[in-house]
Amino acid sequence: MDNFLPGSASLVDCVDKKLLVTLRDGRHLYGWLRSYDQFANLVLQDTVERTFVSGRRFSDAYRGVFAIRGENVVLLGEIDPQKEALAMEGFTEIPAADAIKEFKLDQDNKKKRRDRRNRVLASHGFSVDVVEHDNY
Amino acid sequence: MLPLSLLNTAVGHPMMVELKNGETFNGHLVNCDPYMNINLREVIRTSADGEKFWRIPEIYIRGMSIKYLRVPDEILDMVKEEQSRPRTGGDGDRRGGFAGRGGHRDSGRGDRGGFRGGRGGGDRGGRGGGRGGGGGDRGGRGDRGGRGR
Repeated sequence: MDNFLPGSASLVDCVDKKLLVTLRDGRHLYGWLRSYDQFANLVLQDTVERTFVSGRRFSDAYRGVFAIRGENVVLLGEIDPQKEALAMEGFTEIPAADAIKEFKLDQDNKKKRRDRRNRVLASHGFSVDVVEHDNY
Repeated sequence: MLPLSLLNTAVGHPMMVELKNGETFNGHLVNCDPYMNINLREVIRTSADGEKFWRIPEIYIRGMSIKYLRVPDEILDMVKEEQSRPRTGGDGDRRGGFAGRGGHRDSGRGDRGGFRGGRGGGDRGGRGGGRGGGGGDRGGRGDRGGRGR
């Protein structure tokens, strides 16, 4: 961070490092950053999608090479493999299909709750013109 | 190797494209441009919930609506090979296309390039000229665009 470059140029230090990338749809991708451009479009190699569900359970699914459009990225950060292993202690791995299904169901329920709340707010005269499509 | 040169290398190969709305398209890449607009052939479209499928012979996707693309692992090695070759065709040509856009004063496209370049020169290039990485690249492009205007 000593010679910080503004904009996506600051990603230069992350190239060929293992990163966690969180997308706007709530997905977490762990992969090796191979390239990026001025829009923070990313190329990830050996990407693994990790899905967390309640009860300290998670799943890993290998996804390979990604080219991600920068606008869909919420955050990205370097992963220290050793610390990652430490942080994952106490989590149980479950089959990816189950975890992803549960995750989608969970997001669906959250959306329903949000819609319900917006309907109530609207009936009380609050403006709910701004309909958010995700958490961001 | 920029993300868009990866896409150029992937022309003719199978890939999976997910849109922002969650729909996915599996097909062979026919063509792509610097906006990430793409043409796919022999496509299978999957609904966002993953329950409905359509077979589509050919489809055009606007770059704006893409969330991400998944390409075969081999493509990354192919990009490296392509770039280690001397720059006669391929990448060299493409670069010429990018930079030249600001300079073509007579064409409609040129105007657009000039506008873009001007912006780049204003907010980024102005702060520091010869910088490395993405920032430097952008500043350079801005200068050229400015002259074209």
